[in-house]
Amino acid sequence: MEKGGVKAWIDGDETAHDMLRRISAVRSTLLVPPLHRVPLRLGNVVEIVGPSPSAKTLILIQVAISFVLPREWNGVPYGGFDHSVLFLDLDCRFDISRFSQMLTHRIMEGNAIGDCDKTLYDLCMRRFLYARCSNSFEFLQTLKSLHYRLKREKDHGVGVHLLLIDSIGAFHWVDRASVFLSPKETNRKKLFLQSVSEAVVQDIKKLLQEHPMLVIATKSVIFGNTYSTTSNEVNRCSRNVTRNPQQIQYREYMPSVWQSLLIFLIYGAPSILAVLCYT
Amino acid sequence: MAPLKSMEKDHPLIDTHFQSFFEDFLLYDLHALIASADNHSSSNTFKQGIDQLLSVIDAKLPSLRNGLQLLQDAECNKLLLPTGFQGIDALLGGGLRAGQLTELVGPSSSGKTQACLTSASTVAKNGGSVIYFDTGNSFSPQRIADLVGQTSGYVVGNQAELGPLQRVMERILCYSVFDIYQLFDMLQQLKINLKSKIVESDHRIQLLIIDSISSLITPILGGSGPQGHALMISAGYLLKKLADDHNIAVLVTNHMVAGEGGTSKPALGESWKSVPHIRLLLSREYGSNVCNISTLKHPSVASGRAAKCTMYL
Repeated sequence: MEKGGVKAWIDGDETAHDMLRRISAVRSTLLVPPLHRVPLRLGNVVEIVGPSPSAKTLILIQVAISFVLPREWNGVPYGGFDHSVLFLDLDCRFDISRFSQMLTHRIMEGNAIGDCDKTLYDLCMRRFLYARCSNSFEFLQTLKSLHYRLKREKDHGVGVHLLLIDSIGAFHWVDRASVFLSPKETNRKKLFLQSVSEAVVQDIKKLLQEHPMLVIATKSVIFGNTYSTTSNEVNRCSRNVTRNPQQIQYREYMPSVWQSLLIFLIYGAPSILAVLCYT
Repeated sequence: MAPLKSMEKDHPLIDTHFQSFFEDFLLYDLHALIASADNHSSSNTFKQGIDQLLSVIDAKLPSLRNGLQLLQDAECNKLLLPTGFQGIDALLGGGLRAGQLTELVGPSSSGKTQACLTSASTVAKNGGSVIYFDTGNSFSPQRIADLVGQTSGYVVGNQAELGPLQRVMERILCYSVFDIYQLFDMLQQLKINLKSKIVESDHRIQLLIIDSISSLITPILGGSGPQGHALMISAGYLLKKLADDHNIAVLVTNHMVAGEGGTSKPALGESWKSVPHIRLLLSREYGSNVCNISTLKHPSVASGRAAKCTMYL
């Protein structure tokens, strides 16, 4: 065998980096791990759970970027979905400069010259819509008025097809401690937390009927991860995820009405990633 | 969102009849409400009332902002404040960012109060006002004077030179706070003052320090009810809202408690972890002046990045 032949065979056709770039430009899928493992379509509700910090918001940012980029721009294929995105920040912690950094990096990566096209950057930044809420009332108000706002956005240009909620359980403690302040106690059988969660789920369902979109919500674990090999305290609300010999438990604290809305649940810990499917 | 009763004056459609029928407007599904209004005798006025309420909600909420507007706001208003504490400035790429809540965690005597005092003196020297909530009587005016004197040559002893130093010290407002309810009161008062622009001076409030917030919150956590955690989370939201609306950087300190396996972990539990924007861990070797700082949580920096700096005592 000639020397050139063997060397050429060992060297390979392209590096992994080049291959990834080629595929992500041609096939527009959500290549963001861990979402690449689940078949997603508009109308699904996904929840990403994990302790803090485990890059949950980073996953949301990457998904948002792959949604706002166009399929191709000036001959350069980016493989995006070409839609608008709405980010509801319930944690009030979003850092726009991080989003801008990652978007710039993605645009520069796809471009052969390696510079960032300003018009494309502006277009993508304009497609990213943002609202923040600091309590459950504001969240409900925003959801109720969202229908008309989204309609207006659709009339102006591209429609919103992705709804990102950062930390769906952000108001959990505050809602649990709230009580109804009304003289008519007989009608208020249900807990405030229960009512608010039901209202949120109803509003989201109604919204999905009018504007089909993919909903991704993050949730942080608030009761702490207990690593135990013996399950002597089995809480009826706990979910068990087995991965090799370790058994990771986290306690579910969102009411069951939210669980019923979910299609997929992705659990992320610093070293372990697992996907639970709800049917 | 005001209670329906208070809206009756401005919007005559929302009369007592409407109120009794539509308590908890936000909690119910709009279509079900409209359908139930149909069955009622005065359905038209109810429907008009619903529309009016919706328009009030829509007008009250801020409109959706897009990425470019957010970035412009961040670049113009949310500036970096150098703290003068080299380790923190090195890790944070320049200093504390206005609009963000930064937490310093560390065991006792690791330099947290020194970091707070250094930040206060640097920001005051650069022309901004500082509000310092002191929960453990650890604020030291002599130390502030030393720090200001060290770096800018203001001589403390000389009577004639007292002017500039006094001006810098006047910009630092120190309050003693000993429980969480007092903190809430003072923050609400601050919110009202800032909103009505009573304190309109050349020296805008740029930094708010709470040393230490864990000593205010730890007594109310625990117990079987959710009230303690609810107060903690509400305090976090109040601080973040103040920071964002008025472009203030907020710096809080936290102590450490025993964790599993003999290691220490930051106090205040899991729920507090999602409140601050940035969390930094301080530690100091016994008997040494060198302070080690590493990131626990940061939007752009991977956790674990560390810096060292020497404290001058």
